[in-house]
Amino acid sequence: MTTAATTPEMDKRPSLLRQVRDALDLVFSSRTAMVGLAIALFWLGVGLLSLFWTPYPPNAQMFSANQPPNAANWMGTDHLGRDIWSRIMAGTQVVLLKTRLSADPPIVIPGGVAIWGVIGAVVVGGLLGVNAGYRGGIADQIIMQILDAFIAFPVIVLYLVIVTSLGRGDLIVIAAITITGSPGVARLVRGLTLDIKTRDYIRAAETRGESKWYIMLREILPNARGPILVDAMLRVGYAIFAIGTLGFLGLGLPPPDPDWGSMVNDARKYIYANPLAVAWPALAIATLVIGVNLFADGLREEIMRYQR
Amino acid sequence: MAKFLVRNLFSMFVTMFLVSLVLFFLLEVAGGDVTVRLLGVFATPEQRESLRRQLGLDAPAWQRYVDWLIGSDWRAQQLSPYPLTMAPNPQTGEQEWWTEVDGVLTRWRMVEGELLAIQRTPDGREVTSPASVPWTTDETGAEVFWGVDTRNNLVKWVRGSDLEVLVLSKAGVRSERGGPQQYIPLRKGIVRGDAGMSLQTNRPVSATIFSRAANSLILAAAAFVLVMPLALFFGVLAGVNEGKPLDRIISITGLGFTATPEFVVGVFLILIFGIWLRWLPATAVFLTGDAIFRDPKILVLPVLTLMAAEFGYVARITRASMVEVMQSPYIRTAFIKGLPRRRIIFRHALRNALMAPITVVMLQINWLIGGVIVVEVLFGIPGLGSYIYDAAIFGDFNAVAAAAMLTVLIAVMTRLIGDMLYTYLNPRIRFA
Amino acid sequence: MLSSSRTTKTLPVLQVQNLTVAYRTRKAEIEAVRKVSFDLHRGETLGVVGESGCGKSTLGWAIVNFLGANGFVRNGSIRFEGEELVGRSEKDLRHLRGDRIAMVFQDPMQALNPSLRIGEQMREVLIYHRQMRAEEATERCIQALERVHMPDAAGVLNRYPHQLSGGQQQRVVIAMALLNDPALLIMDEPTTALDVTVEAAVLDLVAELRQTLDTAILFISHNLGVIARICDRVLVMYAGEVVEQATVRELFHSPRHPYTQGLIRCVPHLGVDKKSSVLYPIPGRVPRPDERPTGCLFSTRCQYVEDRCRTDPPALRVLSNGASVRCHFAEQIDPTAWAPPADVELAPAVSPPADAETLLFAQHLKKYYRVPGASLASMIGLGEKRFVKAVDDVSFSVRKGATLGVVGESGSGKSTLVKAIIGLERIDGGALEFMGVDISGDLSKRTLDVIRELQMVFQNPDSTMNPAYTVGQQIERPLRRFKIVPRHQVREEVIRLLRAVRLNRTYYDRYPRQLSGGEKQRVGIARALASHPNLVLCDEPVSALDVSVQAAILNLLMQVQRENNTTMIFIAHDLSVVRFIADYVAVMYLGQIVEYGPVDALYSPPYHPYTEALLSAAPVPDPDVQLSQIRLEGNVPSAIDPPAGCRFHTRCPRRTLMPDGGRRCEIETPTYQETEAGNRILCHLPLETLRSLKPVSDVHSGR
Repeated sequence: MTTAATTPEMDKRPSLLRQVRDALDLVFSSRTAMVGLAIALFWLGVGLLSLFWTPYPPNAQMFSANQPPNAANWMGTDHLGRDIWSRIMAGTQVVLLKTRLSADPPIVIPGGVAIWGVIGAVVVGGLLGVNAGYRGGIADQIIMQILDAFIAFPVIVLYLVIVTSLGRGDLIVIAAITITGSPGVARLVRGLTLDIKTRDYIRAAETRGESKWYIMLREILPNARGPILVDAMLRVGYAIFAIGTLGFLGLGLPPPDPDWGSMVNDARKYIYANPLAVAWPALAIATLVIGVNLFADGLREEIMRYQR
Repeated sequence: MAKFLVRNLFSMFVTMFLVSLVLFFLLEVAGGDVTVRLLGVFATPEQRESLRRQLGLDAPAWQRYVDWLIGSDWRAQQLSPYPLTMAPNPQTGEQEWWTEVDGVLTRWRMVEGELLAIQRTPDGREVTSPASVPWTTDETGAEVFWGVDTRNNLVKWVRGSDLEVLVLSKAGVRSERGGPQQYIPLRKGIVRGDAGMSLQTNRPVSATIFSRAANSLILAAAAFVLVMPLALFFGVLAGVNEGKPLDRIISITGLGFTATPEFVVGVFLILIFGIWLRWLPATAVFLTGDAIFRDPKILVLPVLTLMAAEFGYVARITRASMVEVMQSPYIRTAFIKGLPRRRIIFRHALRNALMAPITVVMLQINWLIGGVIVVEVLFGIPGLGSYIYDAAIFGDFNAVAAAAMLTVLIAVMTRLIGDMLYTYLNPRIRFA
Repeated sequence: MLSSSRTTKTLPVLQVQNLTVAYRTRKAEIEAVRKVSFDLHRGETLGVVGESGCGKSTLGWAIVNFLGANGFVRNGSIRFEGEELVGRSEKDLRHLRGDRIAMVFQDPMQALNPSLRIGEQMREVLIYHRQMRAEEATERCIQALERVHMPDAAGVLNRYPHQLSGGQQQRVVIAMALLNDPALLIMDEPTTALDVTVEAAVLDLVAELRQTLDTAILFISHNLGVIARICDRVLVMYAGEVVEQATVRELFHSPRHPYTQGLIRCVPHLGVDKKSSVLYPIPGRVPRPDERPTGCLFSTRCQYVEDRCRTDPPALRVLSNGASVRCHFAEQIDPTAWAPPADVELAPAVSPPADAETLLFAQHLKKYYRVPGASLASMIGLGEKRFVKAVDDVSFSVRKGATLGVVGESGSGKSTLVKAIIGLERIDGGALEFMGVDISGDLSKRTLDVIRELQMVFQNPDSTMNPAYTVGQQIERPLRRFKIVPRHQVREEVIRLLRAVRLNRTYYDRYPRQLSGGEKQRVGIARALASHPNLVLCDEPVSALDVSVQAAILNLLMQVQRENNTTMIFIAHDLSVVRFIADYVAVMYLGQIVEYGPVDALYSPPYHPYTEALLSAAPVPDPDVQLSQIRLEGNVPSAIDPPAGCRFHTRCPRRTLMPDGGRRCEIETPTYQETEAGNRILCHLPLETLRSLKPVSDVHSGR
């Protein structure tokens, strides 16, 4: 016996194309994930479109106020006579597509506030979690005790405190999402790390005398990818949720660019005159969050079924 | 078990300590200049400086933190020649700081360079007379006296000083000569139940916060008590029917409710029941303190909104836990033993399956509190949530800090209860 | 066998005919069991054996119709006491389960509900099937527990599962299964999760119950030794099909199917030593359900394969001796004329010269773990300090080129010992020298040169490789880290290493999930060899593998050792594997080496009573060999407060041979006694007494 038996289709390393197809396969096999993805992609499409075209300029007060839906304004107009559909279209941008680093001069980077906030939470939480889990002992206790203090805050209270002290702005909201999200990510990653660090390949790396950072970054984290990714997707949903709530509380992203939560808040005062003006942005937030959640949830279920 | 309790309590104290640090330094130190808020943007730097000193903001951050946390009275007592004490104001009932001079409650104020003593008579009146106080000489040679002023500060008066201070009163800012050189705002500290004065209302935070919290408690408890059995029931139902249409319906509904922000649910409920159907009031009107009991209808929509948010989450956790337990080998054993399905579910699965939700539900109190804030703002209910919200909008850090501490305390306590319940339910820990 | 001839005339308890069981998966339906037929009579024990993935367990679950959400019986019939079970309502089946049909499966810790007391879990079986009152049921439960020799039966009823040891839990599960005197008992790997000595005791129990009850037992196991010990007849399953069915003696003495022959050839027999024999692996692996060949399923691995086998699926035929075999050429194949295929490399073991230099030297090694006390005082550091004495006063040395086997059950400290040597744990006392360098510190205190010389092969093939990287990347890493070869030669070196572990270069770009267990273990060995270490520590490298693969890996390790003159420390939990590979053996019990010496001296008296018990516990894959039954009582005591005196005295079956009845064993710590064969034995019993003990088996001298 010179070589162990080989099976033909294994001889090649899976190509990138194949990996993408496998991932899509996973999505397509879950109806939940499909529906979620469709909703999320719809809003993403709307957002991309709004970068180049909206029916009317979203901030232009060019109609009479509080109009019900009509041929010119599909969703009616708001209390200042702005076209609601145009504003809803543009409302996707700050959440998903762009972050305003400063208003004057206007500096904008791609990637919405929700996205950057979650990236921040994953990076901070991931590093804390993997350190707590892998190092253990005192380091673990200190990190987890500090994170416990942050977890103890009701999320909205923490948002209120952060916004009270630091003010409003895209970066502040990103910071708030990062601060509120990282303890959760850290707990997840710590749990995964505690599991992964019992594996023999970690022993193998240790007996090669690898540094702790090498083991954490190169040996442990790559294997925690899947759950972290699904969790991050769920967190994008929470972040959109939170941005909407902050906007509703009048603490969200600064004007003038439209933001769904603030639209609900503004229209609320005219709810008897123009009830639909509240309903549209509320519907937009709900569908986007549900869409992202369905996608993440379906994906997780499908991955779990794989493992069973 | 005792060890477990002690460790948890210890961890809880550490958590609360860290929370207080986070809160204080976020709000007080990193927070914006409070004088801008109080004096407006057109005040001069001198005016601001004066106000900062009156608020005790010239002290180092750690000193202010200690004052805020455990009080400044013990520190002030070192300086004051007379014992400090607290007494209720006969009109408002609010606690005020006084000193006891020969058994008489006494405070002082400086008018036109002359120090006047205000003495409270036993029948509650206040008598003002020129004061004779034990002046001492400090290291610079000036004659100084530490006494309580009329705004609950221990202050250092210097004889013959004509320092001009700006006094903030309800009428506005006025300038006074011969003001104190140094202020120590007197407070007992948040751990002793004194959260300081609200900058917004100029009343003690602790005077309003508890009645507000009571309203929130009724709201949250009503939602919690109503939703828990429902959510657990549907969670278990979905869990034992994993993969079947019933499970799908419950799961998707739950997901929909959880993923929809509370204010969106609330807005739709208002639209449907308050505006289109006109069955229920769209906002809560709290004319009196016991309005909730007189007209429970005003609570229906807020409670429903909270329930929607909680339902999905708890049901999903319960379902996941039930599914996991139903796949465990000991449930397999129970099936192999030929037990009826009902007994397997109720006797073998349920107890193990409910352990996870119970801890999670207790952790979820945070979530519920967040929901309470939104619901109170949306429906105009004067509870703890709208209190903290108003304070946050105003920048009233004493109020925000106190309310935030209270919410965190509630969250941490419920988590402790959850942990204990878990230990009780889990014989592996109980009989370790 | 007697029992089968006695009962063939009566109606079989279980008649399975043409049974096919399938699972729905995302891609397709997979047939896990195909066209299986057999009868099982009263009082008979039928063994089911095969590698993992052959459908053994599925067969067991199909009989109780508990196949999960995606499994179903596609075809065939299961008749229990004459009644058809397939297609019966869940309600009917429920009345049978737990009453007429009972089942015991692998992991006892998981089989019992952690939050219910044992009593309740047992009683409910009687209450539901027999409508018994609670007191009466309790009485019956106590009797049942006594029948399985459970000490303090009444007390056990009030305990929770986690308060019992693994062996006790399995006794509870068996007692529970027997409560209603079932007609059929299905046992699915009932002893696999247990330690060797505990396994032996549970097997004794099963053997005893088999004598006293007339329950039909379907006994599923991968372990041929266990099957040989327990069963009357055996079904050999391969890739979902029955390939051979015969009485146990017929099967072991004249196996007809090439797969059965292969299985028997690849298990180490206790009597076989390193110098006289090699294990012969079965090449390849069980085909996955979606890649099963047309024709004979075993054709891809069969040595006797002919063209016909590849196209024409053989039927199960009854041969003249009564056995049935699924092979076209069953009559033509003569197992005694078998010769190893030319490409199996025989590895005649070479012992190192006696004057080889000492590579590793350990003296009075100690490793204690601090255990947090349960009291409040211990939390603030005032409590009594308690330690797990995982390794306590261990001394040995290893010469260059030699292999030291370390044997012990769980809790013996063997893994801790290895961790201390490799540097994953700091040593708390004693001296440890490697190539003359002090290595008593942990990895952070060692130079890269020392680290490089000490490498490890791990136990679990599924976790030995990082799933995120390809095989090539993982073998490259030590090459780059230790700068073994210049950068541009790394790839060639990896391929050379792959070839050294008999894998070709196509494995370079594969991910671990594309490899079988044996292949992963080979890559693990290649990775350990990459830095050309002087000493390789093997932590049970084959215990998680199928027997057919175990042999291949063991042979590989020996070849590699010979080629590179590597020194090895090899950990195992039973003595059969170690005998095959080691030059010296250390037997550990509760943190101490109770016996240490050259491999040949260890397997015959005089030996330590614990060694004797271990030898007698190992199941022998030969139904005719009767080992003397030296059984240990109770469980391994906690290493937190190990017994005073001799640590083994609480369980020692030979204590009674002491002149004073063993009082001395309780008080005085024994010292090592050296035998003329070079063994050191940690025991108070005089060597003469130990020498006079009857050998556990006499096979080693004969065949």
